[in-house]
Amino acid sequence: MVKSTTKDARDLFHTLRSAYVATPTNLKIIDLYVCFAVFTALIQVAYMALVGSFPFNSFLSGVLSCIGTAVLAVCLRIQVNKENKEFKNLAPERAFADFVLCNLVLHLVIINFLG
Amino acid sequence: MMNLSRSVALISLFLLPLLSFSFSVDNPTDRRVLVLLDDLSLKSSHSIFFNTLKSRGFDLDFKLADDSKLALQRYGQYLYDGLIIFAPSTERLGGSLDSKSIADFVDSGRDLILSADTSASDLIRSIATECGVDFDEDSSAMVIDHTSFSVSDVDGDHTLIAADDLVKSDVILGKAKIEAPVLFRGVAHSLNPTNNLVFKVLSASPSAYSANPSSKLSSPPQLTGSAISLVSVLQARNNARVVISGSLQLFSDRLIRSGVQKAGSHNQYEKSGNEQFVTELSKWVFHERGHLKAGSLVHHRVGETDEPAIYRIKDDLEFSVEIYEWSGKSWEPYVANDVQVQFYMMSPYVLKTLSADKKGLFHTSFKVPDVYGVFQFKVEYEMLGYTTLSLSKQIPVRPYRHNEYERFIPTAYPYYGACFTTMAGFFVFSFVYLYHK
Repeated sequence: MVKSTTKDARDLFHTLRSAYVATPTNLKIIDLYVCFAVFTALIQVAYMALVGSFPFNSFLSGVLSCIGTAVLAVCLRIQVNKENKEFKNLAPERAFADFVLCNLVLHLVIINFLG
Repeated sequence: MMNLSRSVALISLFLLPLLSFSFSVDNPTDRRVLVLLDDLSLKSSHSIFFNTLKSRGFDLDFKLADDSKLALQRYGQYLYDGLIIFAPSTERLGGSLDSKSIADFVDSGRDLILSADTSASDLIRSIATECGVDFDEDSSAMVIDHTSFSVSDVDGDHTLIAADDLVKSDVILGKAKIEAPVLFRGVAHSLNPTNNLVFKVLSASPSAYSANPSSKLSSPPQLTGSAISLVSVLQARNNARVVISGSLQLFSDRLIRSGVQKAGSHNQYEKSGNEQFVTELSKWVFHERGHLKAGSLVHHRVGETDEPAIYRIKDDLEFSVEIYEWSGKSWEPYVANDVQVQFYMMSPYVLKTLSADKKGLFHTSFKVPDVYGVFQFKVEYEMLGYTTLSLSKQIPVRPYRHNEYERFIPTAYPYYGACFTTMAGFFVFSFVYLYHK
């Protein structure tokens, strides 16, 4: 029983890995960016857990900038993915332009709220 | 010529009342003292005491206690600065004097020496009760001490006491220690326990008690031991000083000149400690010693000289006050290491001991606390035997203005870093995404 579950887990991992290798490079770049943003957010949460939430607005601003940009990157990935039937007619340049503009607005708000 | 001398005489007649001195803020020693006696022979039987007073410059005015022309005030102004009542058996004082007018006299800041003796009248008792001192209710009782009596006691009933339980105060009794015991023969009194301004200067030994020496004791005496005070002193809140003694003979020439040997001790003294005791005590009562004066409180920020109208929280400030002590003739700088200042708002937020320099300037510096409101600098100085100093000055304290806070909060540096790192990451990502191959 135990032996079969570990074998299943290993088989699952291999299937996922081989499927992921087949994705296009631009999507992989977006995934990497999302991981970086979420990792930065987690570092900030860990720091807040240590020293307390004294300048709470700064904490929110920092975490929100990371999460916000990660969310925008995920939206970009959805719109640019060729396998997605919903956005077949949307030009990828348009999606990227939206991404850039939204990020600009996000960072403007973040710097304002940072104090 | 005649006109000139007549006009000079007229002018001096008008000026004369103004020229007679009284104690003042700049010269706190009393000048004119009224001495009330119930028997004029006291002038000669207590001549040593009165002569020491006269030699120190006091203007003594001897009157009989029931003299009908007695007056302490005339036209609303007091005629005397001090009052000595050596009239233990007088029932009614003459003139306009009574127990209320004497209480008003003390309330105006003037000093009093009151002495009872083996017979204390109700008037003397009531004056003493006003000052927080209760004489023994039994009018025939005297202080008896079978272990602390003087060996020269002629009557053998142990009522002449050799007392050496003096209060420990250099201000009241002078720097020189009184070596010989003080001879005392008179009535006992106790202090009212609710009165915290009166204290004992000469206290009876634990073996003393108050009873009638000529009759057998039928019940245990009420006043015993160290609860009996022989000479007590009151310094009122307006710094008037009152000495109440249970014995008139304490001041007499006979006891001053007499030698003393305490029963049970081998030390024999040629002269009792009475003269030194009454001289030093009279110096203290009439404000020749132990009188303090304070200048105004000065405060300013460190580095500035002007007094600001308002402080900000966490400011550094410096505080100073000048205190002088009257030496009998001039104001000398006061030196002590226990004067404290409080920065007070409902309770002291800061309490600091001031450091003295030799010129009477007491100073310190501290940081304004992190609380805003209306504070007071308070100096409350109450030491035994010294006049009380109660000074205060109000000053408001404001919080930070919006532009006085720190610009960047150090604990938030990681958040600042994260935001800028995210922005840089976005910038790099957009380049890589657009131009990758």
